[in-house]
Amino acid sequence: MNKGILFLITLLISHKTVIHAAPMNFKDSVTSMTTISKNYSYLESSYAISSKESFGININENKGDTYKLKAGEFFYLRRLMRVNKINSQTNLWLFTGAGMVNVKKNIKDDDYLYLSPTLQFDYETKRIFSLISQQIMRVGNQNFDTTKIEGGVSFYETTFNETQPWILLKTRKTKTVDSKTEYTPTLRFINKSLFGEVGVNLDGDPSFHLMYTF
Amino acid sequence: MIKKNLLLVTLFLSMNIYAQTQRIEVLGMVCAFCAQGIEKSFSSDENIKDVFVNLENYFVVIESRDGKSIDEKYITTIITDAGYDVQKIEIVSDSVSEIREKYGAN
Repeated sequence: MNKGILFLITLLISHKTVIHAAPMNFKDSVTSMTTISKNYSYLESSYAISSKESFGININENKGDTYKLKAGEFFYLRRLMRVNKINSQTNLWLFTGAGMVNVKKNIKDDDYLYLSPTLQFDYETKRIFSLISQQIMRVGNQNFDTTKIEGGVSFYETTFNETQPWILLKTRKTKTVDSKTEYTPTLRFINKSLFGEVGVNLDGDPSFHLMYTF
Repeated sequence: MIKKNLLLVTLFLSMNIYAQTQRIEVLGMVCAFCAQGIEKSFSSDENIKDVFVNLENYFVVIESRDGKSIDEKYITTIITDAGYDVQKIEIVSDSVSEIREKYGAN
């Protein structure tokens, strides 16, 4: 199926959901991903113009004790730096999202237009993965900046066609929305086009993440 | 001396004409999810008969359908478009299936 059509279909069906995962697109590919958990969910689809640039849509919902955010945005992703070594890869990315967010606090409910940049740094080898990302998101007089730190190891090396299992610890906190940092031990499975994760945070809430590249 | 040089040139040219398999050492190729772009791009090229991606040793081998070498600039573009860098491209005598068998994978 034509990649443009796939992208459009994803755009049409993604009307009710959920920040960016590590971008791993290659030129002319479409990548779709979703995450579902008790307090946070998102759906995203993007098209890679090149291995350095992609654009797409992202719809997300983020719930805390008193706040609930629902946002939909168009985003542009630019790779600012990549260092390819024989056994490692290091990246610095800039996401720029623009869209509308609904902020609900108790019975108060407001919509805001927003522009939100995210800077992400990641480093990986065949056995080690690490990522740190900082999103700036200010709407009205409120600060909804999100910080993510992730790190993990693979149990063993695999061949190109085998499924590679990983264990990671993910941490995430959105200011104003989250009263504490969320820690989520996560299992990751990578098999070529398919990238899946299953995690349970320290409160016992499960989360699922799936990514596929067409 | 001239004959010797001619012989060397002929040898060099014939290597390029009749070689079928090229081995590409790739920098940054650390995960299958990311490297799939290389395989997809080479596989979709009708001039390429077979592709083998070896993550363990960071290389890709391709075999042309017509027995001629694939242009190195083209190879470099494919690898770069997938997000990686090329360290070295060389012609090898084994076929892709022989290399696949040698590394006991896939």
